[in-house]
Amino acid sequence: MTDVTASTGETPNLVQRIRRDYSPLVIGMVGLFLLVFVAGAAFTDDFLTWFNVKTIIRDAALVGIMAIGLTFVTLSGNFFLLSMKEIAALSIICFATLMSADWNQWGTIDADPTSWSLFMTFLVAFTATMIIATIAGALQGALIGLGGNPIVVTLGAAGLFFGIGSWWSDNLVVSYRRPHGAEWLGTGSFIGDIPNITVAFVIIAVVAELVLRYTTFGRQVYLVGANRAAGRATGHENFGMAIKCCIIASVCAAFVAVAFSGQVSSAHVNYFSSEFGSSGDMTIMVIAIVMVGGNSIMGGYGSTLRTSLGAIFISSIDNMMVLNGFNSGARVLAVGLMIVFSIIVFALVRRGSRAVE
Amino acid sequence: MERLKNWVTENPDLSFAILLSVSVYTFFAITEPLFFTHRTGFAIMERFAVLGLVGLALTLCIIAGEIDLSIGSNAALAAVVTVRFTDDWGAINALLFALVISTSIGAIQGYFIAYLRIRAIVLTVGTLMLLRGVALFAAEEKTVMLTDFRIPDFISTKMLGYFSPASLLVIAMFVAVGLFMAFTRYGREIYAIGGARKEALASGVSLQRPMIIVFAISGFCAGLGGVIIGLRSGTAQALGLQYLLLAGTVAAFIGGVSILGGKGGVIGAAIGTLTVNFLNTGLVFNVTPSFMVQLYLGILLLVVIMFQTGSRVFEERQRRGQLLDDVDRRRRILSDKIAGLRRPSG
Repeated sequence: MTDVTASTGETPNLVQRIRRDYSPLVIGMVGLFLLVFVAGAAFTDDFLTWFNVKTIIRDAALVGIMAIGLTFVTLSGNFFLLSMKEIAALSIICFATLMSADWNQWGTIDADPTSWSLFMTFLVAFTATMIIATIAGALQGALIGLGGNPIVVTLGAAGLFFGIGSWWSDNLVVSYRRPHGAEWLGTGSFIGDIPNITVAFVIIAVVAELVLRYTTFGRQVYLVGANRAAGRATGHENFGMAIKCCIIASVCAAFVAVAFSGQVSSAHVNYFSSEFGSSGDMTIMVIAIVMVGGNSIMGGYGSTLRTSLGAIFISSIDNMMVLNGFNSGARVLAVGLMIVFSIIVFALVRRGSRAVE
Repeated sequence: MERLKNWVTENPDLSFAILLSVSVYTFFAITEPLFFTHRTGFAIMERFAVLGLVGLALTLCIIAGEIDLSIGSNAALAAVVTVRFTDDWGAINALLFALVISTSIGAIQGYFIAYLRIRAIVLTVGTLMLLRGVALFAAEEKTVMLTDFRIPDFISTKMLGYFSPASLLVIAMFVAVGLFMAFTRYGREIYAIGGARKEALASGVSLQRPMIIVFAISGFCAGLGGVIIGLRSGTAQALGLQYLLLAGTVAAFIGGVSILGGKGGVIGAAIGTLTVNFLNTGLVFNVTPSFMVQLYLGILLLVVIMFQTGSRVFEERQRRGQLLDDVDRRRRILSDKIAGLRRPSG
C-alpha cells in the first residue's frame, strides 16, 4: 500500500476510493452518463411520480428475474446463455398446455379465483415446468462443463428448445380461461397496490445476493469464475458449477415464463422474441442488463445486486424514452449503445490490471 | 488409392464433412424423387448464395478464435439500407453504400476487439442489439419494399445451368477468400492468432491487423448476404434474418472448424454450407415447418459440439495418462537403480 491515506491509517472515504480505483476517463464517462440520466429525469414530466416508479419496477421485474439467474452463469465464468428466451418459450408452452389440460382440472370449472382446485392446477403445471427447465439447464450445463463453448452450445440448444416448443404447441397460441390459478402471480397484488411480480423480483434479488455473499456455494461461484485453475486445484471443477448455474438460470427463466403466462392467460413460442415485444429480443435484453449492471463478463466479479440495479436502470431509461415519445427503434438503439458503452468502460477499467487472454 | 488414404488421414475433419454431405444428399435423392433434379439443384445454389456467405464469415471468425454474433443484425441492416435507397439512387449505388457500411462496421468491431483486448463475443453481443436499433431506425420500424421489380428478376436469372448472378458472385467470393487465406501472409496471420495467440503475439504478429481483416471480411460477407436477400425478395425487415447465425454456425462446425481456433478452411465452409442446404431443401420437400428445421439444426450443432468436446477431453485424458505412465516408468527405473546401488554396500 503506497497510498497516502492508507499509510496514515485512515480509511479512505468514498471519493478517494473512487479516484484511486478508476481512471479519470472512466469516471468522466460514467459521470456523463449519470448526468444525462438525471437531466432526463428532471425534464421529463410525470417521470418522478409514485405511479411511474411502480411501473418502472414492474417492467424491470420480468427481465430482471431472468437476468439475476443469468448472473450466476456469468459470474462462474461461463459467459452467458444465448438460449434464455428459448428456455422461457419452452417453459411457457409447457405451463400453458398443462394449465389447459383436461386431466389437470381438480374441481368445478366455475370456481372462485382463490379456490384450492385452481391452485392445485397451478401447482401441477408449475412443478412440471420447473422440472422441464431443470432438465434443460442441466443438459446445457453438462455440455458446457465438459468443455464445450457456452455460446455455441447454447446456440444449438436454443434451436432445439424453440423447435420442441413450437412442435409441442403446433406453433399456435395456447390459451386457458380466467379465472385460473396463476392470476395471483401474474396480475394480483397482496401488499396494497404493489404487484406480486414486483415483490417476487425483490425477494429473488435479495435471496440471490445473500446466497452469493454468505453461502459456500456463492463463494465457489466467484472462485470458479475468477480463476478456473485455482478452482480445479482446490477441487471445484467447472463441471458441477456449470450445471448448477445453468439450472439456476433456466429455473429463473421458467419462473418468468410462468408469471408472464399468468398475465396474459396464454402462451406462444414467440412471446419472448423481438417479433412480439417492441423492445428487442429477450435474450439480448437480459444479457444487456447483466452487462450494463457492471458484472465482468469474464466472470468472478460482480453481483446480483448490480444486475437488479441494471434492470431498473434500463427500465427507467426505456420508460423515460417512452414518455418522451420515442419509437422502438430509438429505444433499441439506446439499449445497444448502453451495452457497448458498458463493455468499453469495463475493458478500460480492466486494462492493465490483467494480462492478455 | 494410397494417396486418397493419406489425404483422409491428413484431413479427417474435411473427409468427415464430405462424407456427411454426400450421405445427406444421397438420402434425400433416394427418398425424394424430385430432389435429384435440375431445378432443385438451382434452388440449392440459390440458398447457397446467402448461407454460404454467412458460413464463410463465421468460419473465418472461428479460425481466428472468435465468434461474430452480430452477423444477422449486420445483414439485416445492409438489406434495409439497400432496399430503402434503391429507388432513389439505383441498385448499384445503394448496394455499394450498404456494403461500405457493413464492411466498416466489421472493421471497427475488429479494431475495438484488438484495442480493448476483449473477446469478440462480448463486443458483438452489444453490437447485435445496437445494429438492430440502427436498422429499425433506418427502416422507420416498417417493412421496406422495392417498387421496381426488375432487379429481383435479374438476380435470379438462370446462368450456366445451375447458377444465378448471385451464386456466381458468392462462388467468386469463396475462391478469392480461399486464395487469400492460403497464399498470403495476412491469411497465415489469421490462422496464427487463432491457433496459438500468445505464441503469435510473442513472435511479432500484431493482433490488430488480422482482427480488423477478419471482421471486415465478416462484415462484408454479412452485408453481401443481406443485400442479396433484400434485393432478391424485394423487401427487408429490420428484425429479420435472425436465423442466419444458427445456420451459419452449424455450417462452419460441420466444415471442420474447432472452437479453439486455427483449424478449418474455406473448402470446409463450402461443404458445411452445402450440407445444411441439402438438409434444408430436403426437409422442405417433406413439408416440414421451419421450426422443425431449426430443431434439426440445433440437434446437429449439439452433436457436432459433443463430438468435438468429447474427442478433446478423451485426447487430454489419454495424454495425461501417458504422462503419468511415463513418470511411473522412470520412477521405477530410478528406484530399481537405487536399490541396485544400495545392495552391494549393505
